[in-house]
Amino acid sequence: MNNGKAVVLIVEDSIIIRMGAVDLVKSAGYEALEASDADGAISILEQRDDIDLVFTDVQMPGTMDGIKLSHFIRNRWPPVKLIVASANTILEESSLPDGSKFLPKPYDEHTIIEAMASMLEPEAPPEAAK
Amino acid sequence: MPKTLPTRFEAASTLAVVVSSVEPLLFLTEDQKVIAASASFCRTFEIDPATVHGKSLSDLGNGEWKLPKLASLLRATASGSAHIEAYEIDFERENQATRKLIINARTLDDGEPDYIRLLVAINDVTNARAETRIKDDLVRDNNILIQEVQHRVANSLQIIASVLMQSARQVQSEEVRGHLKNAHSRVMSIASLQRQLSTSSGGRIELRPYLTQLCQSLSVSMVPDPERLSIDVNVDDSAVEADTSVSLGLIVTELVINALKHAFPDKKAGVIAIGYQSDGKDWTLTISDNGIGMPAGKDAPAAGLGTGIVEALVKNLGSEVHVSNNGPGTIVKISQKANADPATASAPAV
Repeated sequence: MNNGKAVVLIVEDSIIIRMGAVDLVKSAGYEALEASDADGAISILEQRDDIDLVFTDVQMPGTMDGIKLSHFIRNRWPPVKLIVASANTILEESSLPDGSKFLPKPYDEHTIIEAMASMLEPEAPPEAAK
Repeated sequence: MPKTLPTRFEAASTLAVVVSSVEPLLFLTEDQKVIAASASFCRTFEIDPATVHGKSLSDLGNGEWKLPKLASLLRATASGSAHIEAYEIDFERENQATRKLIINARTLDDGEPDYIRLLVAINDVTNARAETRIKDDLVRDNNILIQEVQHRVANSLQIIASVLMQSARQVQSEEVRGHLKNAHSRVMSIASLQRQLSTSSGGRIELRPYLTQLCQSLSVSMVPDPERLSIDVNVDDSAVEADTSVSLGLIVTELVINALKHAFPDKKAGVIAIGYQSDGKDWTLTISDNGIGMPAGKDAPAAGLGTGIVEALVKNLGSEVHVSNNGPGTIVKISQKANADPATASAPAV
């Protein structure tokens, strides 16, 4: 949390999709950070202690894919919430850490924002996050 | 222990059947001496046919048939305590690659229960196994490739959807925003189909899960207040070709967008219902609402892009569209009757 705003880290290798996600997260009233792969995401997580949620793609170049990254984050920064999106529909939620959310690509933006709102403020309705 | 029997003569017909067997076949005494071997056996395992008669199985060739486990299974078969059915062995010969053999053995049943002889069929499945493995590998590669293509398609659709929604958030004009959101819904409609296709087999699409998912997606992106407006889906167990399902999905998308835009002004509450029923080759798709109904005559709105898309798709399916009053609201019925020739409208006779 930063100045009362939830902080969301977006991890996505496709620049256009990442731009769209950053814009979406900002328009929902959150602070957006971005990384293009797992290594970049981890170095941001190491530098900042105010990240509330990581929204990651699965298939990415580099040492870890999004599934490995989500397990790594769950182990090292347990409070950070996780949303994983993948174009591979065969991927099942069971391969992800408990409590994380899986969404198939292409995702609908309302679905993403609703998922983020319910994870960040489980007590409040989605509108309250805006 | 096998009893010593006086020399017996086998029926000439039995020997002839054994020798001419297409599958490699051995005819053995109870103590595993060769009475006859098929020509195919001698050829396959490179054994001189003149040398086999009276020889022990374990002495055949250069001793490569001395297989203790096989011998013990044959003993058990001879005593009646076991059957060898599809017993698999790795067959080794000097300077040759290992072969995979499938052995079937049974006692000969020719009405002489005290005179036990064994029929042993040997099938070399090495090549068949290798072919199966190559085929399995190909199927696996193919699946990986298809998954990769589907992954790329889904990612490309995500890029298009992201750009459209980003534009929709940034434009000032409400009208342009509406058009961009409609375009986004059309892209998501194709994406729903893509998702169904990736989990379907044989290219046929089950309509109920597909249209249900499509309407959920439309509802999430287009309905600002789900308490006020809902989309009901009532579809039978039909499955259709992928091409047909694209057209049906896009028709539903356009007509739902249209109903959301026109049927419920001033935050009027209501329901949009999607139905699909088929009977043999006949089918009917209905999109109905309980809104304000369509103005007729000079008040009728000019046909937009959505209407053009629906008309083109309906024609392409060889179906007919019928719009009527739902009292209250509007019902659009798209139907195809099998006796109507779908090709006459657009395709020349071949």
